[in-house]
Amino acid sequence: MEAELFLIRYLHVISGIMWIGILWYFNFVQIPSMPKIPDEQKPAIGKVIAPEALFWFRWGAFFTVFFGLALAWRSGYMMDALMLKQPNIGIGMWLGLIMAFNVWFIIWPAQKIALGMVDADADLKPKMARRAMLFSRTNTMLSIPMLASMISVQNPIM
Amino acid sequence: MGKILESLPLTIAAGVILTVVMIFATEAIYDSQMSAPEKAVSNLIDSM
Repeated sequence: MEAELFLIRYLHVISGIMWIGILWYFNFVQIPSMPKIPDEQKPAIGKVIAPEALFWFRWGAFFTVFFGLALAWRSGYMMDALMLKQPNIGIGMWLGLIMAFNVWFIIWPAQKIALGMVDADADLKPKMARRAMLFSRTNTMLSIPMLASMISVQNPIM
Repeated sequence: MGKILESLPLTIAAGVILTVVMIFATEAIYDSQMSAPEKAVSNLIDSM
């Protein structure tokens, strides 16, 4: 049981680093750098780097949630946490679930259109790029309390 | 909200404010779930 919980937590943390690391790469590095990149070099980001990063980003989000819920279930606190009877981990879990929903159902569909990975009107592309950026920023904002919540389980803040 | 999210420094500031709100909300939820004897013990420990 202990070894199983260790493995699930380890996979949860590794997936989480993959997810939040790429989220922060997008928001701290790629988005602010785009205006400084010459137009002829922009396809390297839009056609090569961003699609690859989005692949690891969305599957990182999926497996973070998958292993996080598995950990909560096997540890016996999943329902208490989700119903906020254990609010320190529960709030973090809800923030993580909202963020993962944003990744799969808002950011990824919008990015597919913005990056030209699916057919869409040319007018729609800037609109979808802005939508993806705003929800990516929302996730960056939520990641700060989410990580504080996760850590507070081991090290209570108050 | 859109204006805040367009700026990375404001996004980070909003995240920090949300974290402080979350800390107090967590404490308030714990307090609301405590029975009277548990609360008395908790207050005693806090005052030590």
